[in-house]
Amino acid sequence: MEKLLEINSLSKSFKGNLVLDNISFSIEKGEVLCLLGPNGAGKSTTINILLGLLGRDSGTITYDGKVVSRSHLRAYKQKLGVVPQDLALYEELSAQQNARFFTSLYGLRGSSLDEAVEEALKFAGLIDRRKDKVKTFSGGMKRRLNIACAIAHHPELVIMDEPTVGIDPQSRNHILDSIIKLQADGITILYTTHYMEEVEAISSRIIIIDHGKIIAEGTKEKLKENIQSEKCYHIELEEGTPIPTEEFYDVEGVKEAKSDGNKIDIVSLRGVENLDRIISLISDAGAHIRNIAGEEASLETVFLKLTGRKLRD
Amino acid sequence: MDLSNNFKNPVLINFNLVFAIVMILIMGFLTSGNYANAMDAYNYYAVSFLIFGMMQGAMTATNCFMERDIKKPNLRILSSPCGKFPIYFSKMLASFLFDYILHLLVAVILLIAGINLGGQNVGWIFLMMIPVEFSSAALGVLFCCIFHCEETASTILSLFVSVIAFLGGAFFSLDGLGSTLAAISRISPVKMLIDVFFAVIYDNNLSGVLPVLFISTAFSALCIFGCQKTFRAEDYL
Repeated sequence: MEKLLEINSLSKSFKGNLVLDNISFSIEKGEVLCLLGPNGAGKSTTINILLGLLGRDSGTITYDGKVVSRSHLRAYKQKLGVVPQDLALYEELSAQQNARFFTSLYGLRGSSLDEAVEEALKFAGLIDRRKDKVKTFSGGMKRRLNIACAIAHHPELVIMDEPTVGIDPQSRNHILDSIIKLQADGITILYTTHYMEEVEAISSRIIIIDHGKIIAEGTKEKLKENIQSEKCYHIELEEGTPIPTEEFYDVEGVKEAKSDGNKIDIVSLRGVENLDRIISLISDAGAHIRNIAGEEASLETVFLKLTGRKLRD
Repeated sequence: MDLSNNFKNPVLINFNLVFAIVMILIMGFLTSGNYANAMDAYNYYAVSFLIFGMMQGAMTATNCFMERDIKKPNLRILSSPCGKFPIYFSKMLASFLFDYILHLLVAVILLIAGINLGGQNVGWIFLMMIPVEFSSAALGVLFCCIFHCEETASTILSLFVSVIAFLGGAFFSLDGLGSTLAAISRISPVKMLIDVFFAVIYDNNLSGVLPVLFISTAFSALCIFGCQKTFRAEDYL
């Protein structure tokens, strides 16, 4: 597939703190690339640099084969659609007025502007509320309008910076379905999030970023393959009986054991049947098991393995 | 769109329309005994508060640019191909138009009420209001670019405008309070504007018109230059 956007050796510091450390990646035409990482990982900094809002210390950005420079910035931005993390809408104006205004910034006028706005509002499921003021909208509707304002001018690349923050699951699913439709229409999407479920639902490819570095890259299947050799048990005990996790390392196949109060997470080699031995160990210690859950390799476990912590602590 | 937003803001409309007229009535009434006859007090404050209102147009601009509810959508424009000049300049233009329309309305109401605004010279008054209004708007936007925040910009501007209005004689003339105060009063641009306006209205003296037009325009250009230098996207991330 053809590369649409390439970032090479991007670095950025703020007051001596290295926020982005020599990151490089590319986005191919028509794919949904998810930038996954916890808060403070460097996702928004990367986006802001891509949008030309923030300078970079080093590195290059190439769009459609052309290096993005100051002289080329306007033409480059013309091809982007941006869904900011914060809701950025004029509350006293209607949905239609907001969409018209933000779309007109990309040069659309007259009937083409009207058609584009109508199409975008239909896409967002807001066509019936187009004349209503934004301040009367729910959070989910505002998020959808936020997206409509970004796609109405038919951009080639849509950059979405955590577009589902703070909304209900139904609205989130609507937005995720919209993204899948956009991809089906041939639009390339760069999507940042710290929600694993969203990445599972929409990604063509994932980049995991933490502390300003790319720590893994690939499709979700490829990333999970890396830990297919392992399985994970999550054991919840009745209150009051902490168990030293060191004892579990004596059990064949156990690679890692972490306890947190009355919960124990055990990573074990696949193919080694050791669950009964683990349960015996717990019973011998006088503890009662409240719940056991086995976990297949997931992106959550990929992230945990790569970083040593959970995506949302 | 910015103009539309301004006209949907009742606070701004009241501040620029109703407040000016109310202050003229109150101050005219309270000081009616201090002037030759009652009408002169109202004539004095009609001009001085019209000028004071024009100065306070700077706060309309700060509100238009970075009021909390519209700051984020205003800054969203930075992601578009527009560049930064249209962002701050459009706020200056919208604030200027909004204030000029309302202050023109105030002037018309004053004329209907019998206030003397220069008779056949009233056109010069309206002409001078244009660059003065724009320079206030430009100053307001510049303060936003410097302080990145409407609250801070408005607070400092409010203080600044009040001081220059006081020194300029908007509330009462300082000329009769001694030579020192009279000299200090001359620092204030409000003093210059009041003197020029009264010269046009009462003395048919148009010599101050060109300097007002030129100085206001030059000041606006300086403010625009300042905005271009101080308005940076990364300050708002």
